[in-house]
Amino acid sequence: MNKVVNFYKRNLKEVLRDPLIYIFCLGFPIAMFFLFYIINKFSNGNTPTFEVLSLLPGIIVFSYSFVMLTLSIMVSKDKQTFFLKRLYSSPMKSYDFILGYSLVGLFIGVLQTLICIITGLIISLISSVDFVSISNILLLIIAQFPMLITNIFLGILFGTIFSDKSAPGICSVFISLAGILGGCWMPIETMGSFETFCRFLPFYPSVYIGRIITNSTNALGIAYSFDNIASFGLITISLFMIASIFLAIFAFNKNMVSDK
Amino acid sequence: MNIITIDNVCKNYKSKKALDNVSLSIKQGELFGLLGVNGAGKTTLIKILCGLTRKTSGTIRINNFDVDKEIDKIKEIIDISPQETSVANNLTVKENLEFFANIYNNNDANTINEIVDVFNLNEVLNQRAKTLSGGYKRRLSIAIALISKPKILFLDEPTLGLDVFARRELWNIIKKLQKNITIILTSHYLEEIENLCDRVAILSNGKLLKIGTIEEIKQLNNTQNFEDSFIKLVEANNE
Ligand SMILES: Nc1ncnc2c1ncn2[C@@H]1O[C@H](COP(=O)(O)OP(=O)(O)OP(=O)(O)O)[C@@H](O)[C@H]1O
Ligand SMILES: [Mg+2]
Repeated sequence: MNKVVNFYKRNLKEVLRDPLIYIFCLGFPIAMFFLFYIINKFSNGNTPTFEVLSLLPGIIVFSYSFVMLTLSIMVSKDKQTFFLKRLYSSPMKSYDFILGYSLVGLFIGVLQTLICIITGLIISLISSVDFVSISNILLLIIAQFPMLITNIFLGILFGTIFSDKSAPGICSVFISLAGILGGCWMPIETMGSFETFCRFLPFYPSVYIGRIITNSTNALGIAYSFDNIASFGLITISLFMIASIFLAIFAFNKNMVSDK
Repeated sequence: MNIITIDNVCKNYKSKKALDNVSLSIKQGELFGLLGVNGAGKTTLIKILCGLTRKTSGTIRINNFDVDKEIDKIKEIIDISPQETSVANNLTVKENLEFFANIYNNNDANTINEIVDVFNLNEVLNQRAKTLSGGYKRRLSIAIALISKPKILFLDEPTLGLDVFARRELWNIIKKLQKNITIILTSHYLEEIENLCDRVAILSNGKLLKIGTIEEIKQLNNTQNFEDSFIKLVEANNE
């Protein structure tokens, strides 16, 4: 466990000393909240998707994709600078590496969640909307947790298999997907077969379940409730989470003894 | 006593034969040089010995541990300064040393201070590694390899990019170290090999051409000059 903590500390320093994290992981979610708040205000507050309770789960899920970006950049850079190769000849085991990286992802993810919740609270105060109850906030954090795990391991996976040049590009595709297919700022439930398609990816179900917890209403003015979409979504989310964990571990182990 | 025994080792990268039936052994406490032109297979051999790459065939024992089955035990007693300087760029020099020391549970202030002194890293102790000059980075990279107090140390072109003074300093450090540990060193500076190594192995195109003391190599072609002798050997093999 010492080795994990040691590696985690190094990774955390590496991340916190890079300005990227402050812009993407912390600044971006805050900016989005205020942007949509303003848009909503100027459209006379009749876009349910842009209501703060509806935005909160969406922005949390979206912001987790920056955890993926950060981790993929870190892992691919460590690979590129031969830092990892060097550590491979040390007594560190593959789980030391994977845990050391994922703990950093967890740290950033939890920080983002808190920032999103605080920003959401501030906006709800400004626009005098009742905010989510404490117990539902906890529930929300738990409900979004699988999505955080998925993003952490996808980040490790992409960092392992792609170079430090291509990993950020691949991740930005995923970031866009998370934004569009998550329904964060788009009323997916009105989009027919597109909506059905989105159920097979983890983004939309995560946001959907989050919105049930925050008691928000969809674009049609109907309150979100735990229906088929949500229960099917739980399966999708779990499958993606398990797949990403296995793929990341598999790829990393392979990288440790590869000829590259 | 032989601390490293390499028997009939081959390594193929796809179509390329990087090591072709290499057998040699290295004695405990020896300063052993690996010599060869670019692409001869030196780094490949070191990577295999460190468990960074798998050999295609053959057997290797290090400190009586089998490379295939007991690599974890081997990793406890070796360290490597790779051909590419590799350090944690966003950490300071001191943090780098501490980070690597912690991996080996070796984090006592004395060891670190000693190594900082030996490598003259005092001035840059709190500087981030990415802001170091190339030579200082390499010093740090080598210093890191010593922090684990390895029994066997691999130095892949350790003096590449060092100025004359730093190189001489490093030679002295290596000579001092050699009393306690086994060192395997590669270099393209023949005077360095000549100066430091007890024995050398000359590789060419993945084959072991010759192994022996500096004197033995010199006498091979009646040249009395190490560099001439090396060139003749390699050229004769290429014909
Ligand atoms: N990952 C790899 N994939 C394919 N071929 C490789 C790989 N690594 C090395 N080789 C090839 O194996 C041969 C030996 O390479 P190696 O790096 O061991 O040489 P070297 O003796 O260390 O050379 P140098 O003095 O230039 O460092 C070269 O022909 C090289 O192109
Ligand atoms: Mg080499």
